[in-house]
Amino acid sequence: MQKIDYCDDGQFCSGHVACAGCAEALSMRVILNTVGENAVGVVSPSCVAIIVGGHPTSSARIPFQHGTLESAAASASGMKRALRAQGRDDTTVLCLAGDGGTYDIGLQALSSAAERNEDILYICFDNEGYQNTGGQRSSSTPMSAVTGSTPAGNTTQKKNLIEIMAAHRVPYIATASPSDLSDLAAKVTKAKTIRGTKVIIVIIPCLPGWGVADDAAVKTARLAVESGVFPLFEVENGVTYRLRTTEKPAPIAAYLDQQKRYRHLSDEDRQALQDDVDRNWQRLLWLAAGE
Amino acid sequence: MNDQTSPLWTHLTSEARLTGTWRSALPAYQNQPSPCLGACPVNGRIATWVKQVKDGDLPGAFATLTENNPFPAIAGRICHHPCETACNRAAHDETVGICSLERFVGDMAISEGLRFTAPVEERPQSVAIVGGGPAGLSAAYQLRRLGFQVSLFEASNGLGGLMRHGIPAYRLDRAVLDAEVNRIADMGIDIHLNAQVADKTALQSLRGQHDAVFLATGASQPKRLPGLDYDAPHVIDSAGFLAASETEQKARSGGHVLVIGGGSAAMDVARTARRLGREVTVLSLEPEGRLPAQRVELEEAAEEGVGFVTGAMLHSVSAGAGGLDIGCIKVNFEPGEAPGQFRASPIDGTGFTLAADTIVPAIGQDADLARWQGLLEPEGPVIGTRQWQTSAPGVFAGGDVASMERFVTQAVGMGKEAAKTIAASLDPSLAPPSPLADPLVVGDRINTAYQDPRPRTHQGNAGVTDRLASFDEVQQPLTPQAAQVEASRCFSCGTCIFCDNCYFYCPDMAITRLDLAYEVKTDYCKGCGLCVAECPTGAIHMREDVTP
Ligand SMILES: Cc1cc2nc3c(=O)[nH]c(=O)nc-3n(C[C@H](O)[C@H](O)[C@H](O)COP(=O)(O)OP(=O)(O)OC[C@H]3O[C@@H](n4cnc5c(N)ncnc54)[C@H](O)[C@@H]3O)c2cc1C
Ligand SMILES: Cc1ncc(C[n+]2csc(CCOP(=O)(O)OP(=O)(O)O)c2C)c(N)n1
Ligand code: SF4
Ligand code: SF4
Ligand code: SF4
Ligand SMILES: [Mg+2]
Repeated sequence: MQKIDYCDDGQFCSGHVACAGCAEALSMRVILNTVGENAVGVVSPSCVAIIVGGHPTSSARIPFQHGTLESAAASASGMKRALRAQGRDDTTVLCLAGDGGTYDIGLQALSSAAERNEDILYICFDNEGYQNTGGQRSSSTPMSAVTGSTPAGNTTQKKNLIEIMAAHRVPYIATASPSDLSDLAAKVTKAKTIRGTKVIIVIIPCLPGWGVADDAAVKTARLAVESGVFPLFEVENGVTYRLRTTEKPAPIAAYLDQQKRYRHLSDEDRQALQDDVDRNWQRLLWLAAGE
Repeated sequence: MNDQTSPLWTHLTSEARLTGTWRSALPAYQNQPSPCLGACPVNGRIATWVKQVKDGDLPGAFATLTENNPFPAIAGRICHHPCETACNRAAHDETVGICSLERFVGDMAISEGLRFTAPVEERPQSVAIVGGGPAGLSAAYQLRRLGFQVSLFEASNGLGGLMRHGIPAYRLDRAVLDAEVNRIADMGIDIHLNAQVADKTALQSLRGQHDAVFLATGASQPKRLPGLDYDAPHVIDSAGFLAASETEQKARSGGHVLVIGGGSAAMDVARTARRLGREVTVLSLEPEGRLPAQRVELEEAAEEGVGFVTGAMLHSVSAGAGGLDIGCIKVNFEPGEAPGQFRASPIDGTGFTLAADTIVPAIGQDADLARWQGLLEPEGPVIGTRQWQTSAPGVFAGGDVASMERFVTQAVGMGKEAAKTIAASLDPSLAPPSPLADPLVVGDRINTAYQDPRPRTHQGNAGVTDRLASFDEVQQPLTPQAAQVEASRCFSCGTCIFCDNCYFYCPDMAITRLDLAYEVKTDYCKGCGLCVAECPTGAIHMREDVTP
């Protein structure tokens, strides 16, 4: 087996209040340590904001500004411009947000930043719902998933944020997973070297929100990747798609079975989800072959 | 950069908050036995020595292997390897080739001339071992390692027991046998060959001269087939046939040999006779698919041109045209409760005749109990023991004479356990053998996401023509490269490989890396169990938290 490849030098501290077993905290550990100390951050209201923590303590060694749900990307843009004005262009500006703050409420600010190709590293922790406010649906919630506001199952498709961002022709977009920490670290490292708007979407199986056991977030994320529900890939300049693997994904059954939010599904519902995953995968192969 | 200290600014880290209070369970690092260890008759530390092979530390692998078994090159050839049946990797793709790796280590030790180290301290007490087969030699080895004085009495003119007088050279090269036996003899054991301990009086007098006696005389009495005239010149029992020299074997067998029996000994006779150029038919009571010999033995025998007549029994022998007319009849075969028990009833009107000129019955061996009658109480077909202790104080027994588990490594394991029991009886500061205390690491404790798919490398066999032309070994060794690749397939079940997964997967930074160890920070561990879930070896588990 390959050893996990990144170095933890204490950029993320113990004592934060993420749920026991939280994959978002785990991913932050990789991201903060990979970004390093020459960085500042903006955090959107979300679980990440809770994990970074409120005054006077912080789990992050770098300074963070707590932004608003609508405007995290705008705050980050401003911060980068201020740093540049001070001659500190080498400082990375990190923007951490949830899916609600990215797919829904903060989309306009992100779109504008991307349009201007602001030099920020935007990380979306995609836990497929408004989780820190009790688990309501967002436009990232997949079809059929039960949330606090869709007790009979969600009735809309998960929004395809990657294609939206690709349409902005930003230099770098990637998906990443806490089941592959070396890959996540490598993508953050790569993004750091690129100028312009970089967007990394990390899949975060939310323990209470998805109904996953305390020790199973990584396993669930792994199943999401292996089943093609959340394939790992990169998009450069909005057009060049690079898939981690083109191997046929595993069936989604094991992924669904891992979570309470899909427990009510009929065989037809499950098949519909599988068909959807298959279609998305075919499209991804097509996009990747297109270059 | 974060050098602000004004109270208006966030200036403390979250480390002030001790999230350890959230927890109800705590991870515990503890190496635990692998299922292969549990199934191995000598409880060898397979996960450890296979890792040593993977890491290229062959002397280390040899040292680990020989803690429990002084015969890695032998066991690596002829062990029935129940370890592989129990291997956790079986459910993933295919079992690890443990036995082939054991042979690899054993062969390396022989070619490198590795020896056993002298005992740290000599002890005055002496133990007599009766019988120089695997059970007796294993006990002698373990006792000598502990510094006891050991005298070994063997009836025949060589050491090894059935490894020398039963198992043919094409399965166990005699140079390999000699090397591993001599390595034990060289530890300073007082060896007496052609020294049969004839009866209970002789045994008692031996007991008088030593502090303890270990009886490991095997099962030397051939079972007899009723209705067969064993004095007839055309009948030779399998034990005598296999023990004989090639010249004698040639002299005693005609052109067409009928072997009676379907077990391993029958295959050994049949395949030996094929190497003498004989035509061979095996006659077994068991129907096809139910023969007790191992599957590979049956396959290799068939490849070598052995003919099989199954589900039938012999009922008469008479002189025929070119030799003997052997009257046979088909039977209904019903297996009994215990292995070796069965009922076979002839089916009327199914008689037929086979032609042959030599008959070799190979239907099993019994322990010789009569020899010790009045001193050692039998229990069923073997000498009765409790923790290897017989009914006579200070006389212990193990191996085929005391057990129906009739395999070389079973005998080695019994010899080891008996030696430890004897040692503890002579010096109470030495620990008696203890049963495995910890549960075996079951398959679902292994996170197989970290295991690359990798097909097993099987050992090759010599070609059939070459096999029939000599008594050279059939089974070919693994190359060093293949051995290393095969070793890397092992999951190291229950043994930490210091992969750092537990360290990296903790969302709370609650695991500290030390030098070849890890420590859980109880101040911060929330007890989620992610570290355990992502461990590829099952070397860490959650236990109820007892931290005050
Ligand atoms: C043909 C054949 C093939 C086999 N093949 C395999 C195999 O492939 N794999 C496997 O695992 N097992 C195999 N076995 C079984 C295995 O050989 C035995 O289970 C094992 O050898 C038993 O070891 P032991 O030390 O108890 O007895 P033995 O090996 O029988 O050794 C007993 C020794 O005691 C000596 N002895 C007997 N009586 C006295 C006395 N009164 N005084 C002094 N010495 C005495 C004998 O001469 C002998 O050397 C085979 C058995 C046979 C018969
Ligand atoms: C405009 C606005 N509406 C509502 C809120 C309340 N609020 C704070 S965090 C949050 C949920 C955000 O969800 P998401 O971005 O997915 O982050 P998660 O909690 O799932 O990590 C909401 C609705 C707010 N802060 N601002
Ligand atoms: S994978 Fe290795 S340690 Fe685990 S049972 Fe198989 S041989 Fe033994
Ligand atoms: S991953 Fe960390 S917090 Fe979770 S049980 Fe292990 S040591 Fe404790
Ligand atoms: S995860 Fe790796 S380092 Fe941690 S206990 Fe398991 S084998 Fe050892
Ligand atoms: Mg969310």
